[in-house]
Amino acid sequence: MANYFPRYTNILPLKIAVCLGTLALGVVVAFTYYGSPKAQVVGYMPDQPIPYDHELHVTQLGLDCRHCHSFVEKSGHANVPTANTCANCHHETKGGIKSDSPRLAPLMEAIDSGKPIQWVRVHKSPDYVYFNHSAHLNRGISCVECHGQVDEMRVVFHAEPLSMGQCLDCHRAPEDALRPLEEVFNLKYNARDYISKNETAKNILEDYVAEKSLDVDLDDEHGAQLAMGTMLKDRWNVRPKESCFTCHR
Amino acid sequence: MSKRKWNHPEASKEELGTKVWRSAGDLEDTRQLREWVDREFPRASETMREDERENTRRDFLKLMGASTALAGFGLASCRRPEALIVPFTDSVEWTIPGKPTYYATSMPSANGAVSIVATNYEGRPTKLEPNKNFPNGKGGGADAMVQASILGLYDPARSRNYLSEGKVIKKTDAEKALTDYVKSGNVGFVFGEDDSLTRSAMIEKLRAKYAGSKFYAYEALAGAGKKASAAGIFGKHVQVKADFAKAKKILAVDCDFLELDKQGDTKAFYDRRRPEGPNYDADPLAYQAELNRLYAVEPTFTVTGGMADHRAPLAPSQMAAFIDDIATVINGGSPKNFTGDKAFWVQECAKDLASGDGVVLLGSRYDKELHDAVFAINSKIGAYDNGLLVARTQKKHAELGSLEDLAKDVASLDTVVLMTPANPVYENPVIGDKKFNDLVTDKNLVHLGCEVNASANAANLHIPAAHYLESWSDGFSGDEGIYTVVQPMILPLYGGIQALELLDALSQDKIVLHDSLSDDTAVSPAYNAVKGTFEQYVKSSSDGFAKKTNWMELLRTGFSADLKYSVAGKGNAPAAALKVLPEPTSAKNADLVFSADYSVLDGRYVNNAWLQEAPDPISKLTWDNAIYMSPQTAKDLELYDEIVELEKEEAAWWAALGIDTDSTYKKTSVSEDGEGPSLFGPMVKVTVGGTSVEAVVIVAFGMADNVISFPLGYGQGYDEFWKGDFNGEAIDYKESPQNVSSVGVNRGFNSYPLKGSSDYFAEGKNVSIEKVEGKRYKLARTQEHHAMYGRSLAREISTLEVTKDGGFTQDYDAQLKNVSKQGMDSHMPQNISLYKFQGKSVAMPGKREDEEQLWDKSHQWAMSIDLSTCTGCSACLVACQAENNIPVVGKTQVAMGREMHWIRMDRYFAEPGSANVGDLDSENAKENESDEEKKKRKAEAAEVINPSKDWNTPLEMIPNPVACVQCESAPCETVCPVNATVHTEDGLNSMAYNRCIGTRYCANNCPYKARRFNFFDYNKRNPLLEKNLYKGPLGEKQEGDSKHLQRNPNVSVRMRGVMEKCTYCVQRLQAAKIDAKQNVKKAVQKTGRPSIEFTATNELLMAPANSVSVACEDACSAGSILFGNLMNLDDKIQKTKAIREEDKDLEKNIQGAYANPRTYDLLNYIGTRPRTSYMARVKNPNPDMGIVAKKVGRATIHMH
Repeated sequence: MANYFPRYTNILPLKIAVCLGTLALGVVVAFTYYGSPKAQVVGYMPDQPIPYDHELHVTQLGLDCRHCHSFVEKSGHANVPTANTCANCHHETKGGIKSDSPRLAPLMEAIDSGKPIQWVRVHKSPDYVYFNHSAHLNRGISCVECHGQVDEMRVVFHAEPLSMGQCLDCHRAPEDALRPLEEVFNLKYNARDYISKNETAKNILEDYVAEKSLDVDLDDEHGAQLAMGTMLKDRWNVRPKESCFTCHR
Repeated sequence: MSKRKWNHPEASKEELGTKVWRSAGDLEDTRQLREWVDREFPRASETMREDERENTRRDFLKLMGASTALAGFGLASCRRPEALIVPFTDSVEWTIPGKPTYYATSMPSANGAVSIVATNYEGRPTKLEPNKNFPNGKGGGADAMVQASILGLYDPARSRNYLSEGKVIKKTDAEKALTDYVKSGNVGFVFGEDDSLTRSAMIEKLRAKYAGSKFYAYEALAGAGKKASAAGIFGKHVQVKADFAKAKKILAVDCDFLELDKQGDTKAFYDRRRPEGPNYDADPLAYQAELNRLYAVEPTFTVTGGMADHRAPLAPSQMAAFIDDIATVINGGSPKNFTGDKAFWVQECAKDLASGDGVVLLGSRYDKELHDAVFAINSKIGAYDNGLLVARTQKKHAELGSLEDLAKDVASLDTVVLMTPANPVYENPVIGDKKFNDLVTDKNLVHLGCEVNASANAANLHIPAAHYLESWSDGFSGDEGIYTVVQPMILPLYGGIQALELLDALSQDKIVLHDSLSDDTAVSPAYNAVKGTFEQYVKSSSDGFAKKTNWMELLRTGFSADLKYSVAGKGNAPAAALKVLPEPTSAKNADLVFSADYSVLDGRYVNNAWLQEAPDPISKLTWDNAIYMSPQTAKDLELYDEIVELEKEEAAWWAALGIDTDSTYKKTSVSEDGEGPSLFGPMVKVTVGGTSVEAVVIVAFGMADNVISFPLGYGQGYDEFWKGDFNGEAIDYKESPQNVSSVGVNRGFNSYPLKGSSDYFAEGKNVSIEKVEGKRYKLARTQEHHAMYGRSLAREISTLEVTKDGGFTQDYDAQLKNVSKQGMDSHMPQNISLYKFQGKSVAMPGKREDEEQLWDKSHQWAMSIDLSTCTGCSACLVACQAENNIPVVGKTQVAMGREMHWIRMDRYFAEPGSANVGDLDSENAKENESDEEKKKRKAEAAEVINPSKDWNTPLEMIPNPVACVQCESAPCETVCPVNATVHTEDGLNSMAYNRCIGTRYCANNCPYKARRFNFFDYNKRNPLLEKNLYKGPLGEKQEGDSKHLQRNPNVSVRMRGVMEKCTYCVQRLQAAKIDAKQNVKKAVQKTGRPSIEFTATNELLMAPANSVSVACEDACSAGSILFGNLMNLDDKIQKTKAIREEDKDLEKNIQGAYANPRTYDLLNYIGTRPRTSYMARVKNPNPDMGIVAKKVGRATIHMH
């Protein structure tokens, strides 16, 4: 009986298996990356009804975050300002700033009609995640840790993945992020500059480093942060929780 | 059963003395029940009905095809959906986005307004709690009906249209019709029995405007007899309320004063029921003298009867005889209507009452004559003189007539305006010789109501009403008559008209109804009216500023103690001989009790799904009503053997042939009437005065023989699907689905037609009952669902010395000390758990190997449940449903054991046997007697002790609420394959829904049966439609768009396929912990120093003592549930906890400072270390009651 299939076909199944395997692996790898928040949400920059410029208001004019996000230290939600918060400066009848600008037209309309401005949401955690802003801000975690350098954003975009991995990394090593309560809303803070300008703080930190004999370099940006974070974690009794109920309920 | 016997060895002989059961099947140990229990969980495929089973596979394939296709479409639009943030335009006062706002208001009711606090999220009320700031802490509680009233607000089926005889009309036409109807001025108004000052003021205005106007009050269960008696004795508008702070011995004569027939605020009653005093700080032995004693005489079990120390079942027709005898004994005579053990009972009860601090409370719906007699008894024993009963006059209460007055005036009236919360067209009360519907048949009927019910559809003009949470009004509290305000939480969702708005419109020249829909800034005239009344009558001030602050103060607190009912003068009643009725002697002519229902009250809550699904506290029946009768009565009617298949004879026959029926038993031999989804009940036909009603029967325990009880309020509307609930032929019914919503349709049987003119019961001689063949009705009862087995589940002790089997006695002190040693704990060392909580972290491997799992030094949460005060009313269950977004699953699913309630209210019956009375016969004991002699002697003694099964053998009912007990060594955690349930640092057993894959291993491994599985998308699909859930994504969605507004935004709404369970209201705990974190910043700011110098202690991060409460705790008017933080030594929870034996020498996180002897852990011996502990029930029997007293306090529950 003739060989219907030539000899080389003997390894054909293997080849097919290898190809399919590679393909499957490729799909898995691609999905793990492209399906992750890092690829999906970072860089999301929707158009807003009013092109509000954080860089202008925060860095150039020096507004504090809490001027507009007023309840962020009290509530789980970081509230978006009501129209009359904007109107404090921009109200047309009181000689407000740029009140005749067409860019502010939606604001004027909202004030006149009472119909609220519909901002487009940038940061959104899933429904089953109960993130609380006040819990973090009152314990020395700055806005910048999750939202990036908002003070430098002309248009707000999603700067960090805000994945569960990111949450857990920080909950496991809060010393990388803790800073003095006074500096929480200072988005330009870094620990090395802070101690270099603040003699008392420097002394306190140096004493602590010596006491605990920490192996850190205070002249290094990361080292200073590590020392500061470790001290604050210790002093303030910061023990972030990792159990499910911390965020899911 | 072999499995269970292995886990829980047989009880000792002593414990076996008390017979314990949950259901008739349990009592008789039937095959159906054993089969159901053995299975433990309903087998999914078997619990499906035949037709569903056929379709399933095909449906599955179809759905798979459909979803694959949909997935293809879905991918094409795989883009991030755009979400919006919509802030207010103008900042709203008090509103912080994400934080709740609390407003005080009150819920009007016939028993007095209940002062409540409503939780609001961004303008949506989501939860109601009792107002803790109310004077003396008497918020009046927030019972199941108050809790569930929030669902009524969001009911999508609420009335939203003006109707004329059921047809929708325009608002302008409605106004025109209304103008027409009242033109003549001969208008009769029917209000509810609640008392409103503003309404009274408006009535005076209307009286002046409409010359022929008349005003009445009507509610079906308001108790005309009590009212008439008080009016005769004290004068009009007088309410008599009991002061339970003073009352020490209470005789409740068919009076459910703890729940449905309130006689004054009950907080003080529970305070005196707690063996350690109100705050758990007294020594139980010293406080014993302060404990109250409750006697209850009633035809059918109520929650009050369950609390009683001495309870006797008695037919309603015999209450006159009973009261007569009590009066005789108090006046120095001896009982003449009763003989034997009953006479003894009456005599000792009456003597105890007369010895001081005694009070007699009679059910409100008994006749005036009986109430007059009870007044005489209470006067004689000094209840009025000593302030145990206080008569208060409703100040400035407008003159409101009764329906009898309406019947007299009706000829002169052209229009009747129904503003009562009752449903008179459905209830159709008999007034004299006429029925309500015949009286008003040629009148213009105007109806104002929230629901489209029979009255709304019958009315010539129906006006949609605003819910009380959308209304301005006022009222008076149920205890001292303190003025309370009703303020709206939200603008009327469907543009309903408030009662006061309608009255205001009618008092104007041109009738224009307030329109809140088209102009949401318009001020309601009701607001002005209430404000006006307050300023005029309650707290007047000429100073404008004071005026304003007074008003703001009222709105803030919800009440004003400046206006109260005034204490009425002494009353006087003519002495009259009581007419003693003959006893019902046959089951076919049994007394018929028209009882109020724990779910629907008088029928007004028939459309409330939470109440419908909350099991009845006594019968554990959901979604229906039924006729209840005692086992003996059922036997006499040849029904009992149908309900309980008595197979003993058959088994004996087989056993004689050497065949063990248990092992040869086959599925096919089980009759259709079993437990679970195949539970069908037999039917009877009850005829009173020519009117017959057919209804299903349930065997109830603790009922008097020859009495049947038929709850009111059901059967308000049926559709064609009702037939499906019958096995065999359906009863004749008229389809009238328009009178109910999809919740209230096909719900039970209407007993109102039988009611006639009798307010509370029909005498046996006028009643005839016969068995109906060939019809059986499907019932959904939860009593054997999630049934727990083990020894000493609920524990009970007595303040009296008891004789134990074996001859030794134990006094109160010894019994207290022995609580933790009852059952298995007496002789068995605690199991050593394989899964130690201390040491290495189980929950979080890797990171914190060196740390203990329960490492939180600021918070360790715990709960205690005091069975001494728990009545089993199930308010906690409904409160939990409101707080935690728990879905309703519908009757079919409940029957399969799939109810989702996180709290299960177990209810056990216990009947002490003679063995429990101990060796009363020990004096007859001979030395060296043989076992047989001993047995014979005991049997003889038992014969003497227990001559009849009547009043000598008290049947006790003991509730035991069980939710997740948050085991420290939780069996559920170790079996989860995906770590969806793990332990938290603060001692909770967490449940991450988004992680759960639905293996249900955890539920199978939970010894407390505390976990619930979402078999279907109950939250998304409407479970009330026939077979809708089985259609998956193709099923119809939840009706309406308003239900989700009630949801708590801080709790996930769970989807299909996940396990859920009690979380100790973790959302509240997290909020408390986060609030405590804010302390750090405040403390730093106080020091004025840089924050890096600051040191935060564990105490600073701790929520203040007693500041955290959970939903069930808040709802419990008895204060039976206590929640707190074990790490806070000032927390009240400490006083309710015992130090665990094995913790004594171990250094632990948990710092129990107190050791309460009454505390025990459920199933302690399996070593789960639960965080919820229970406290044994203490009964306080009358020592003079002899053998009866000895049998009280023995209801420790063992289930095998």
